[in-house]
Amino acid sequence: MTVELSALEQTDALSPRAPGRLSRLARPALGLLLPVALAIGWELAVRLGLSNGRLVPPPSKIFATIVELAESGELVRHVAATLGRVFAGFGLGVLAGTLLGAVSGYWSLARRLLDPTVQALRAIPSIAWVPLFILWLGIFETSKVALIAVGVFFPVYLGVMGAILTVDRKIVEVGRIFRLSGPVMIGRILLPAVLPAYVVALRVGLGLGWMFVVAAEFMGASEGLGYLLIDGQQLGKPAQIVAAIVIFAILGKATDWLIEIIFAPLLRWQDAFSRQGGIA
Amino acid sequence: MLLLDRVSKTYPNGVRALERFSAEIRIGEIVAIIGGSGCGKSTLLRAIAGLERATSGNVTLDGTAILAPHAKIGLIFQEPRLLPWLTVAGNIGFGLSDHPSAVRREAVARGLSRVGLADKANAWPRELSGGQAQRVAIARALAPQPEVLLLDEPFSALDAFTRRDLQDHLLDLWADTRPTLVLVTHDVDEAVVLADRIFVMRPRPGRLFAELDVNLARPRDRNSPLVENFKRLVLTALDRSLDRNVPDPEARSTVGDAMWW
Repeated sequence: MTVELSALEQTDALSPRAPGRLSRLARPALGLLLPVALAIGWELAVRLGLSNGRLVPPPSKIFATIVELAESGELVRHVAATLGRVFAGFGLGVLAGTLLGAVSGYWSLARRLLDPTVQALRAIPSIAWVPLFILWLGIFETSKVALIAVGVFFPVYLGVMGAILTVDRKIVEVGRIFRLSGPVMIGRILLPAVLPAYVVALRVGLGLGWMFVVAAEFMGASEGLGYLLIDGQQLGKPAQIVAAIVIFAILGKATDWLIEIIFAPLLRWQDAFSRQGGIA
Repeated sequence: MLLLDRVSKTYPNGVRALERFSAEIRIGEIVAIIGGSGCGKSTLLRAIAGLERATSGNVTLDGTAILAPHAKIGLIFQEPRLLPWLTVAGNIGFGLSDHPSAVRREAVARGLSRVGLADKANAWPRELSGGQAQRVAIARALAPQPEVLLLDEPFSALDAFTRRDLQDHLLDLWADTRPTLVLVTHDVDEAVVLADRIFVMRPRPGRLFAELDVNLARPRDRNSPLVENFKRLVLTALDRSLDRNVPDPEARSTVGDAMWW
């Protein structure tokens, strides 16, 4: 292992990416151009009286709302509630999806037994579970976490199973020639081969987790960003709605980015990943 | 000694890939197996490697039956089959994981310099050319110092220049430790330049058709008339194995002289 690890660490100096430093900074900046221009344009339009900005509040008002929520401590409470639900649901969904996906991918008997049922359940729109979950698990946290976990489970399950099924038999044969035992074969051939697809599955799963946390919080919550949305609608506070949306966007992107940077060192060998890795 | 005793392989679908193949391969010998497609040469190699179990017959190495991959037997595939998530150095050390890391590091360094890729130690496989990748595969197979190295059409995917280069390179590597080489090929030129002995196989069912001793001095010049004559002899045997007309009935007599030269 030491050889491989030390080799991993040294490659950065050799990689031919150094000249692209400037463009690596410039490219994300290019992406910001459009939203920033739109925001400034709208702000000006409201300030100049071209629109009253009541239903579509200008950026300054949204920002003020966020600051207000933050100062009152409300923001932290809502964000913590939502993040807690997403993390709990994501954790459970990933755990179940990874275990079942690995079993189905690795063991064809299990696949024949499990996969048709899982696929049938997948065809059900996850929101359809809501009434049942509320009956079974109550209106509070458990049913919300369960809904998020269901949303996260399917992409992770499919990703893991698909990735194991498509591991190159030729590379497995290399492991056989070097007489790797079962667990060693999994650790040194299967896991690294599956990892890129697994990371993609995690990111898709996390995206769905964020989607379902909103649905979960719509169904009766007293705190959370989804509650802020509903509250803003019922009390006619569009700035609060947009503020919640903006925070959703920031949190969603940040958590996705977290997955990306956690796995980036393990995926450096991948051509595509390093190229799109201009982390914004 | 690598002993093949009436090795047969019939696949579940009834295809008789290999029928009663027997041979004695001496330690340090270079053997080439050549034949048309479907003659069972790859099946034979996989049986020797322990990747496939023979339906009947035995493969033994120094008296030990080979039923599964064996530490003393290495295999090089047609494609390099490098692990894309390991660097070149990591790939070369892949088969040495049960060695202490100091030993492994040294073996990797030695392997790298032996195949002339010392400067590529930290490169990823995707950054290598086809010839470089196959050299890494050779270094990986040689790192655990196998007594027998099996090669399944190892250079057939490479361009002619690189192929010659690697053939010469393989001979140099072989000269260091003299492992037994069993090389499956469909390239007559390659067989004659490399091998001490050539087994010509015939298809459907795959079986041994002819065995030729290549008594040519090394190093062999690809363009010498002796090598040319021997190639013709092999081609004649190949044609006979496929029941084709023999283009040059004189070939045997000319080469017959050359053999004793």
